[in-house]
Amino acid sequence: MSELASTWADRFEQWVSSHDAAEQARRRRQFQRFAATGFPGPADEAWHYTDLAAQADAGYQLAGADVAGAEEASTPIAALPGCALLVYRNGVLDRAASSAAAFDGPALAASAAAGSDDDGTQDDGGIDALNAAYASGGLVYTVAAGQRAAQQLQVVLQSQAGDTPLMSHQRHRIVLGAQAEATVLLQFVGHGGPRLTTHVIEVTLAAGARLHLHRLSSETTGATLLTRLDARLDRDAQLHLSGVAVGGGLGRHRADVRLDGSGAELHATSLQVPASGAHVDDLVRVVHAAPHGTSRIVARGIVDAHAKAIFNGRVVVRPGAQKTDSEQRLANLLLSRKAEVNAKPDLEIHADDVKCAHGATVGQLDAVALAYLRSRGIPQAEARALLLRAFATETLERLGWPALQALIAERLGLPADELDLAFGDAE
Amino acid sequence: MLDITNLHARVEEKEILKGLNLSIRPGEVHAIMGPNGAGKSTLSNVIAGREGYQVTDGSILFNGRDLLALDPEVRACEGIFLGFQYPVEIPGVSNMTLLKAAVNARRKLKGESEIAPNDFLAWVREQAKKVKIDPKMLSRGVNEGFSGGEKKRNEILQMLVLQPTLMILDETDSGLDIDALKIVSDGINALRSPERSTVLVTHYQRLLDYVQPDFVHVLARGRIVRSGGPELAKELEEKGYGWLEAA
Ligand SMILES: Nc1ncnc2c1ncn2[C@@H]1O[C@H](COP(=O)(O)OP(=O)(O)OP(=O)(O)O)[C@@H](O)[C@H]1O
Ligand SMILES: [Mg+2]
Repeated sequence: MSELASTWADRFEQWVSSHDAAEQARRRRQFQRFAATGFPGPADEAWHYTDLAAQADAGYQLAGADVAGAEEASTPIAALPGCALLVYRNGVLDRAASSAAAFDGPALAASAAAGSDDDGTQDDGGIDALNAAYASGGLVYTVAAGQRAAQQLQVVLQSQAGDTPLMSHQRHRIVLGAQAEATVLLQFVGHGGPRLTTHVIEVTLAAGARLHLHRLSSETTGATLLTRLDARLDRDAQLHLSGVAVGGGLGRHRADVRLDGSGAELHATSLQVPASGAHVDDLVRVVHAAPHGTSRIVARGIVDAHAKAIFNGRVVVRPGAQKTDSEQRLANLLLSRKAEVNAKPDLEIHADDVKCAHGATVGQLDAVALAYLRSRGIPQAEARALLLRAFATETLERLGWPALQALIAERLGLPADELDLAFGDAE
Repeated sequence: MLDITNLHARVEEKEILKGLNLSIRPGEVHAIMGPNGAGKSTLSNVIAGREGYQVTDGSILFNGRDLLALDPEVRACEGIFLGFQYPVEIPGVSNMTLLKAAVNARRKLKGESEIAPNDFLAWVREQAKKVKIDPKMLSRGVNEGFSGGEKKRNEILQMLVLQPTLMILDETDSGLDIDALKIVSDGINALRSPERSTVLVTHYQRLLDYVQPDFVHVLARGRIVRSGGPELAKELEEKGYGWLEAA
């Protein structure tokens, strides 16, 4: 907890006064909640490894439509094949850069004023409150019962700042009706000076719905990116969640998933490859609140010198959530003694007839395998890249989206595996 | 082709090779035998350039070049192949990926473009058949879940694909049944030519029945203590190494 400078309150008052009375009151409530706690520090258990105290004095100004400058707005963003594309710059929808398809059909609407009706019950070290106080619109994606989204949806969320530190805050909502199916990629990119970005994503899956929700963050130095996912799953619903962090800056990603209906499933995959100087902190918390639930958490990290990767998986089995089947596997590859890694699986079990497994390993690149590859004539750098890809492959394959896998492999500088694909076809 | 003079090498501060001399000309097959721990694998690894071995004295010339100055991957590209006594498993890197990367590394060194995937695939499948490796196994991780015999046959497959000029096979025959031994021997014999040389590290005469050596050496206490023709191997099989070590 840290003292919040009065400039925060002054700036907030200036900004909030342009809203109508009801909106002002609601946002003010949230701001006061934030001001009461300030940014989380190391004393906050959920923020043990990520200290945001310095954020209070960074002098952030709220980014507006104006700072999404014309020059930047024209930077083309590549859509993955077959995807509908939505682009937000500093929290503002860029219609020109988005594909028309993203606005078509009854299933999808990009709203300018979504969410922010937070009831104040959520609390993630004050960040939820900060987000709710300032939240601009975001994605509202609704897929009606029995429908299957025709295209995958790629949402690019870009942050940018010059000399003036900027912040933006967005709320998003994804709602799938019974038996509905959809795939969404949230892609975080950015560049420039200091910038703080928070995103709250609410997900509601009705009975039997299936959502593949991917997060790819390839932010850069200067970014502080905080995301929180709040998902509720009704019976037999499936959430396939992935979080891939490559690149720089500070990233903290929390996912709270509640399996409310029996037979609901969470399949979470994480891959952390922070660049030098980067800090990435993932917390996946799944609550088994009903019987016959399944949760799988597979997390891998490749961490080099001067980078930090934290992964905490928490599985909570509530009383009555019998026949819960849960497994967590965390593995990290340290490329340097100077790398910092914290991977921790936690279990909190209040039911007796459950199966909960977990394991965490930390290792180095296999020197014997490296020597073997080199002995066949493969240069050291390439041999290393092959072994890194091998380590990342298990997580990448779980994404089940070849174009996304290829994009990530490319970002990581890992070699493509085209011959193996050709080989599979030839069989 | 290979000239080893007064080679001294250490592993972890312990001197294993103590003044070893060996000369191999193109087209020759040399068998190296000797008791456990004598330094046979150490010699193989030093030739291949594996890290962790310090050469403290002596020289190795390969076609007249100073081999010890080259990185292991360069030695491989120059034509040296070591079939390992204990091939490693590399899950996540497929056999095909390894072979393709290895072939392309050689081509790059020669200034050639990358090999066409489809031609290469067909060629590798053909070689795989020769060593009775199911082509499906090529898309699996290197040696991943392979039996001991399969791993050794996979070493031979890599050798057939990479076409080295100096083949060093460190106990490739150990742990093989008769059928597998025949397959492995056929693979070695298929590559034999007046330009290629072979070093067979082995404990058993039976391999030498299939791949006939021109010379047999006994490595003991870090040196070649005896050299002879094929008859030396038969003598060793009968008498063991004791009489040589005592000498
Ligand atoms: N990495 C290592 N670390 C420590 N000692 C080693 C290492 N590698 C080999 N040695 C030692 O070096 C000596 C020679 O080993 P080497 O493997 O070369 O013998 P070898 O002749 O191949 O034996 P074998 O017939 O059992 O395969 C042995 O005493 C062995 O313990
Ligand atoms: Mg040996």
